[in-house]
Amino acid sequence: MVSPIYIVAAALGVGFAIGVLGKLGKNFSGILALLTIGFMTFVSSEWLYAFYVGNQVPTYIFTAGFKPPISINLLMGPKEAFLTTMVNFIGLLGGIYLFFNFGRKGRNAYVVYMVFLMSLNVVIMTRDIFNLFVFLEISAIATAGLILIERGNRAVGAGFKYIIATSIISSILLIGIIFAYFYTGTLNIDGLVQAHLSTTATGGIAVFLIMIAAVLEMKPFPANGWGLDVYEGSHQGFSAVVSVATATASYYVLYKLLAIAGPVGSQWDYYLALMGAVTFIGSNLLGVKQKFARRLLAYSSIGQLGLLMLILGLRKYLGDNLDYVVLGILITNLFAKTGFFWLAGIVKAKTLKEWAIIRRKPFFLFLMGTFVFALIGFPPFPSFFAKWTMVMNLARQGGFGWIAVILIGSFLEAIYLFRWFGYAVKGEDTYKYDFNIRWHKITPIVILVAALYYAGYLTSQYTELGRMIDFIPLFFVLVLFAIDFLPVAVKNTIAILGMGTYFYFIYPDLDNLRLIFEVIFMVGGILTLIAGYAYKGKRSGFYPVAILMYAGLTGIIQAHTTLEFFFGWELMTAGSYFLIIRGKRSMPHALSYMLFSVAGAYAILAGFGIANIGQAFPSLDIMNNIQYFPNWAYGLLLIGFLTKTASVGLHIWLPGAHGEAESDVSPMVSAILLKAGVFGIVLALIGMSKSDFDLSALAYTLGWIGALTALFGNIGAVFQEDAKRLLAYSSIGQLGYIVFAFAIMTQLGWLTGFTYVINHFLYKAVLFLTVGAIVLRVGTHNMYEMGGLIKKMPWAFFAVLIGIIALSGVPPLSGFTGKWLFYNAIIEKGWYFQGVIAMFAGGIAFLYLYRLIQTIFLGQLKDNHRNVKEISIWFLIPIYTLLTGILVFSYEPQWVLKPLGNMIAQYFPNNGLHWEGSYAYSHLGYWTGAGVAATVSVVFVIAFILLKIMTRKAHKLEQFDIVFSGERPERPETTHIAYNMYAGFYKAVWPLTVPLVERFWTWMSDLVHETAGFVRRIYSGNGQAYMLHIILYIIILYFITIGGNI
Amino acid sequence: MSIYAKLAYTLLGLFIVLNWGMLMSATFRKIVARVAGRHGIPFYQPWIDLIKNAGVRTTLSHGFMFYLGPVFRFTGAVGMFLFMPALFGSDMWSNFSFQGDLILLLYFQSFGMLGMAIGAGDGGHPHSTIGISRGLAQHAAIELPMILGVISLAIQYHTLSLNEIIAAQQGGFQHWTIFTNPIAGITLLLAALGAMGHSPFNLVKAPNEIPIGPPTEYHGTYLGVLMSSGAILHVIEAALFMNLLFGGATNWLEYIVKTFLIYFYSVFVGVVFPRFKIEQSVVWFFKIPLALGILAILIYSF
Repeated sequence: MVSPIYIVAAALGVGFAIGVLGKLGKNFSGILALLTIGFMTFVSSEWLYAFYVGNQVPTYIFTAGFKPPISINLLMGPKEAFLTTMVNFIGLLGGIYLFFNFGRKGRNAYVVYMVFLMSLNVVIMTRDIFNLFVFLEISAIATAGLILIERGNRAVGAGFKYIIATSIISSILLIGIIFAYFYTGTLNIDGLVQAHLSTTATGGIAVFLIMIAAVLEMKPFPANGWGLDVYEGSHQGFSAVVSVATATASYYVLYKLLAIAGPVGSQWDYYLALMGAVTFIGSNLLGVKQKFARRLLAYSSIGQLGLLMLILGLRKYLGDNLDYVVLGILITNLFAKTGFFWLAGIVKAKTLKEWAIIRRKPFFLFLMGTFVFALIGFPPFPSFFAKWTMVMNLARQGGFGWIAVILIGSFLEAIYLFRWFGYAVKGEDTYKYDFNIRWHKITPIVILVAALYYAGYLTSQYTELGRMIDFIPLFFVLVLFAIDFLPVAVKNTIAILGMGTYFYFIYPDLDNLRLIFEVIFMVGGILTLIAGYAYKGKRSGFYPVAILMYAGLTGIIQAHTTLEFFFGWELMTAGSYFLIIRGKRSMPHALSYMLFSVAGAYAILAGFGIANIGQAFPSLDIMNNIQYFPNWAYGLLLIGFLTKTASVGLHIWLPGAHGEAESDVSPMVSAILLKAGVFGIVLALIGMSKSDFDLSALAYTLGWIGALTALFGNIGAVFQEDAKRLLAYSSIGQLGYIVFAFAIMTQLGWLTGFTYVINHFLYKAVLFLTVGAIVLRVGTHNMYEMGGLIKKMPWAFFAVLIGIIALSGVPPLSGFTGKWLFYNAIIEKGWYFQGVIAMFAGGIAFLYLYRLIQTIFLGQLKDNHRNVKEISIWFLIPIYTLLTGILVFSYEPQWVLKPLGNMIAQYFPNNGLHWEGSYAYSHLGYWTGAGVAATVSVVFVIAFILLKIMTRKAHKLEQFDIVFSGERPERPETTHIAYNMYAGFYKAVWPLTVPLVERFWTWMSDLVHETAGFVRRIYSGNGQAYMLHIILYIIILYFITIGGNI
Repeated sequence: MSIYAKLAYTLLGLFIVLNWGMLMSATFRKIVARVAGRHGIPFYQPWIDLIKNAGVRTTLSHGFMFYLGPVFRFTGAVGMFLFMPALFGSDMWSNFSFQGDLILLLYFQSFGMLGMAIGAGDGGHPHSTIGISRGLAQHAAIELPMILGVISLAIQYHTLSLNEIIAAQQGGFQHWTIFTNPIAGITLLLAALGAMGHSPFNLVKAPNEIPIGPPTEYHGTYLGVLMSSGAILHVIEAALFMNLLFGGATNWLEYIVKTFLIYFYSVFVGVVFPRFKIEQSVVWFFKIPLALGILAILIYSF
């Protein structure tokens, strides 16, 4: 084992040698420096490996042959090994990335860089506070020097502010050290810890000064203008290293010095958490208003520092898991933030909008996506597991306020990162300049991305819970990424086979409840994928993200633990986000979808956290009969799931997201994806049904939400001109019924709910697939631009006809099954008014359904559609398969409803409905699906044949063979009544169409932006002002912490 | 009873209802004419129309769905007849009401309407679309008091079976729903005005402003089928309210008298009140009928 002292020795030695051997040239010096950093990395990682394997104990290294307090000692423990490895590893990659930039400044730049890294190593390892001070100074000077490798006033200004700020901080630290030495007589950190400085009033001053210096090193908001300027002003390559390596060292300084301030749970923990919280939320809030990429990264970096500070302050809550959480957050930030800064250096786009150029090289988009998702804490990245563990522990210890802080801060971060990513994926790319790839710059980034994924996997495997996660679907996604260059037909076949095989292997293990949803997800998925054969070319990037969504969906079905469930949930969200953003005009809608999803996911996470209180193992069963704060726990879970079902108030993302998505994506995200939210609601309600507490108020509220969603969704649908948006609003309404029905929480209610779930899957898939396929043919979503297509697309027409009859609930098709059960359920439950609202919504559904079929297929054929063809056979195959499903479910509902009834009997008494053959009897009424269908069919066929015979000589008319108002039409446009079709109805119901919810969210969004814009003014760019901030921060903190208590 | 006997009685009942409906619509036109100071048609005009329509030599078609419109309409009308018991307490005249309850009837109403709307749309005539868009809007508005009333009845009688609702009203007029549950009764009667589609709720067909459109496009045999369906529906609509509110009928005479009175209640309202614009009629249902409907449920909620 190489002694860590050689890290210092090598850096210093080579540094001097380069000075002496300077004549050997810049490149030689550079390579020598890189080799040295490589050696440093080797030394620290060797230690790390030894600790990891488990045969190594923490070791002190004594310098100058004396023991402390006479001399300085360094400690190499597992934490030190890990942190120095990270610093050196990032340093090494940074050295490669910056190789030529340093070179241009001469060989001394390499020396300074080495010294910089070496100082960070010592800062991490040292156990002597004065030594710490010295090396902090060295690192500050080195940093200031390295900032100047970038040309321009900005860099000079940033460097200057940095020097001044760090000087102030060092002075304070030094004074603190003097005080501490005066009272304790030692400079050794361990000695200071044992001296219990903070127990005396004067010792408290020493602690205050030391701690405030350590905190200021973490660039706390708002005394951090100088730090932001460094990130923004220096070279990207170096910003990255400062952002992560220095930050890592600073974090560890704080960690070490916190021991001096007091034991776990002392006052300083609380102050630290508070300052961390302010920084985390404050920086991320300001990031929201930011338009420039690097400044944004700076805000994000400081936000992460705040988070680390917060976590450290919360160590009381986290207990043994502190290191795991810190490791997860830190490692993600290290890899992702570094990579992001370096990526920014390559892309060279200044504003967020300019980042649209990145997709000219799709691989770069992949890199960026990885960083964004990692930073937000999506699976499979380490931050996901860290955030999970953190929330679980906080909830267990009652730290609910802190959970809120962490989730709000993370949400703010999600806002700006996803907006930025949206510009990259879908923003207008009208820029003339391009960006070049240099291998020495891209290689470190690729290494980081690989490390990020691998670290995620390792993090998951570290815990028992994480090891339960099934990574096979995710692996399949990676395979699809790898074969993305193949033509669409091949990839489609592989995707379908993959899903089919997976389904075949897992379905025997599923109970009936899960089987219903899994069939919708997997069989539905395969059917919608078949439509993909209609596409030509490569369809780059489609299959990995589609399968990512399905991987998530099957993940939540197969989940045994809440972690697995949440893992699947987040994968599904990520996949569906990518699917949605593929639409041509989807950028803002995908963002709004993502933000609602992220917020919803956090609500679920918090809900799981509360459910987990007092539980030994977080299996999904903890949702049953939650013992602590059950209303909060179920409420949060339900809110989270309701964001996915787009219930009223949380629905504004859906119309755009579903309406603008690609033709075969709309059915995936509408007919299939929305059911994930339903599945969640079902699980939560099952849990509630087993509760010892009275949760009826929650179910009652849920019922009203469902009913109002049905009403407003359907009314919204009536006034759409865009066919896909009409269907999207219709989905909102339909999901409203489903939520309502499940909220009833009786056997009949749940039978209604499941009937609607199955029905909505069937007919919404049919309608979205058909309309999507038509859009592909006619090139417009606007219904008033279509018309008369029945002549061109009879097969599509028939599909829509069956689809709308089923949706409208008219007998004899399956929609009526739902309506009949619905009436019985609401009367039995006594929820009359909610029920009437939902039923009234059903009447309104006729309006939009008729509009859909009339304005697309009937009326007048437009001149530019005279040559359109029937929709693609690849769409017709899944459509007619689903139609068969509708017909079977219509004619023999008992085949499905009987076993469903038995399944629901596990949760609710089996007394709502009984069957005699095809006859269903409830307490109130009776009905036979097969009988009614047979009667209606017989009458229909007889009438049809009779009329056919009587009109057998009917003469076929041409399009314009109609007469009205004494005119004979010449143009279809003047005669096709489609635009603003329900003008009269609008005059009657317009008060119900006022978009209050949109206005509310716009107002909220404005509020956040305006607040951010206002607070941002404190960053005036003036160095003096920044120094004043630091001083004021110290003073205010003094009053908060010590105040007049001396 | 054998299925053939059942079928025979059902068809016979349908025949009675059809003819009664034709007579009723002739009487309606006669009354409206007399109110307007005209002489009006002879009472046998509908039969003449039916024969004439069947005999028209030229038939035209706009397409397959255009052709299916009347089929839907006719199936809807016949289905409504089938799923409702014609006479109470008689196995012979109970039709196919064993196949479903009141909810089936409520929703099957829309079968013919929706099919007809789609068929008329295929004709490409702009007036068809205008009329249908109004019709659907009004239909949605009627649903609200209708559902409230029906639910109030369901709570009152603890059943959704029409047979049981009628059964509960037997034993004298004081047991009729209109007397035992007057608020729901009035709510339903107000909804009935809309459902029957006479003035002031007849903007859908708008006989004066939209004289052509579907009736012109659908000529000859199609028109015959539509008019026959209309005749059946007139009776059936009235019969539905008879069964819900007025104790049903135990013999054909009672059936005819009660349906006549209910039907003519709407006709008389129609000749007195002028036509609503569509937004007026929609809003009208959201006022008094809605308030009464809510009251009708509230009284059973406590």
